[in-house]
Amino acid sequence: MIEIRELTKRYGGTVAVDGLSFEVRPGAVTGFLGPNGAGKSTTMRVLLGLDAATSGEALVNGRRYVELRRPMREVGALLDAGAVHGGRTAFDHLRWLARSNGIGTRRVAEVLERVGLAGVARKRAGGFSLGMRQRLGIAAALLGDPGVLLFDEPVNGLDPDGVRWIRGLMRGFAAEGRTVLVSSHLMSEMELTADRLVVIGRGRLIADTSVRELADRFGRGVVVRSPRPAELTGVLAAAGGSVEAAADGALTVTGLDVADIGEHAAARGIPLYEVRPRGASLEEAYMRLTGDGAEFGAVAP
Amino acid sequence: MTDAIAAEWCKLRSVRSTAYVLGTVAAFLLLCAWWSWYAGRYWDGLSAERREAYASAPPEQPLALALPICGAVLGALTVTSEYATGMIRTSLAALPRRPRLLAAKALVAGTVMLVAGLVSTTAALAAGKAVVGDRPLPAFERPFAEHVPHLLLMAVTAAAVTLICTGLGVVLRSTAATITAGAGVLFVLPTLATLLPAPWDERIWSVMPGNLADQIAPAPGVTVRHGVLPPAAASLLLVAYVAASLGAGAFVFSRRDA
Repeated sequence: MIEIRELTKRYGGTVAVDGLSFEVRPGAVTGFLGPNGAGKSTTMRVLLGLDAATSGEALVNGRRYVELRRPMREVGALLDAGAVHGGRTAFDHLRWLARSNGIGTRRVAEVLERVGLAGVARKRAGGFSLGMRQRLGIAAALLGDPGVLLFDEPVNGLDPDGVRWIRGLMRGFAAEGRTVLVSSHLMSEMELTADRLVVIGRGRLIADTSVRELADRFGRGVVVRSPRPAELTGVLAAAGGSVEAAADGALTVTGLDVADIGEHAAARGIPLYEVRPRGASLEEAYMRLTGDGAEFGAVAP
Repeated sequence: MTDAIAAEWCKLRSVRSTAYVLGTVAAFLLLCAWWSWYAGRYWDGLSAERREAYASAPPEQPLALALPICGAVLGALTVTSEYATGMIRTSLAALPRRPRLLAAKALVAGTVMLVAGLVSTTAALAAGKAVVGDRPLPAFERPFAEHVPHLLLMAVTAAAVTLICTGLGVVLRSTAATITAGAGVLFVLPTLATLLPAPWDERIWSVMPGNLADQIAPAPGVTVRHGVLPPAAASLLLVAYVAASLGAGAFVFSRRDA
């Protein structure tokens, strides 16, 4: 459980986070979205006690991070995969971290195994690829078997295999009942990973919602073409869908998915020429939400 | 606190720079043995009346130069290597109580340097005595016990310089800046001080942290004396340097965003 309450962080004259409040609950992956410079990393740094809040507070399991006696047993964080001393081996890096929170050395071998680095445990981290460092960072986050996990842009720079691996890992953590907060500036990534979304821009909360709600709010829908549009409209409306006709004769249906529409049409013997989910609408929704919130927006020529 | 100390000890042990620093101390220990051999050979070639006036440096003299700079490097790296790699955030996420983390760093690095100093200077004296044998060189011939205070103070100075540079490292956050500042205080400022008009040359020289050990417990059998401070004042000054540097480090560390 993570609670951000009226959090404000100023660096000199720059307001990075401005009166931000939201909660992150266990058992779900919460995507923390916003354009670059929106204040995602700052919020995470304040949450981990690395930066001091100007006002407001950030709580983990009801307490400030610095009050946690052995924080790695409650919170696992991956902020910057590059933040490793290159001269230290993967094993030694995890071993000092384990020592710092009273965790046994056996656990180090376990997490190395879990992230697939057991074979390179005795190699210096300086020679690791970005993907391997990312895995080492995740191993560090898992050391204390924490109930709360924070990942700051975990898929940046990863290859497709690595991206899928992280996605599966986070889904798995949520399924185990842990609290998972993942920041990203890519809605397309969060659409595949997250259950809930916290969207911020210029340090302020823009949306705190579920992925489904956001999709519905911006009318994701299904595009349907049929030679008998009027009849189909009636059938689908009766089945609980809402139908809008576009100028080109296509229908946009919300409230029913592709399978529902196919079943209802087939039951009445109405031919369908096209049934397709309207793609990329979450991306559009995100762009519309954050359109005014981008810190470094490009100016059209 | 034991968690923090265990973690810092684990960190210090697992980087090559620590081995390089201790290797440098070992190399200077060999230099001490060579120096003792040279001093003995030189004495052999002197006439009887020149032997009367022969005042050599003590056997541990090369370490008197090496130990403080090794301490400066070890103390600086213990902090600045973490700022250079960004690992300071990982450390603070693991151990969020900052004064405690700094104390653990200082304690571990300081202890390593104190032990390295005690072992190396004791070995240097033992080697020097063995090499020189029964030649009556003043800096070599006193009984072992008479050397103990001086050797102890050399090790304490090395540890103190380590702590001073640990605190300085937190303030400066840069390896180059911290080691340059450390070397400046140890070697450059004392040399510049000697260019000042008397009595300020001696006064300024006397308060430099690297010059306090000889004023607290001088090497036995060495007649050339520098420094104007009584032992108690020099001891207090050494403690004050350490306290000021670590205090400044702790103050900045607790208030600054990582």
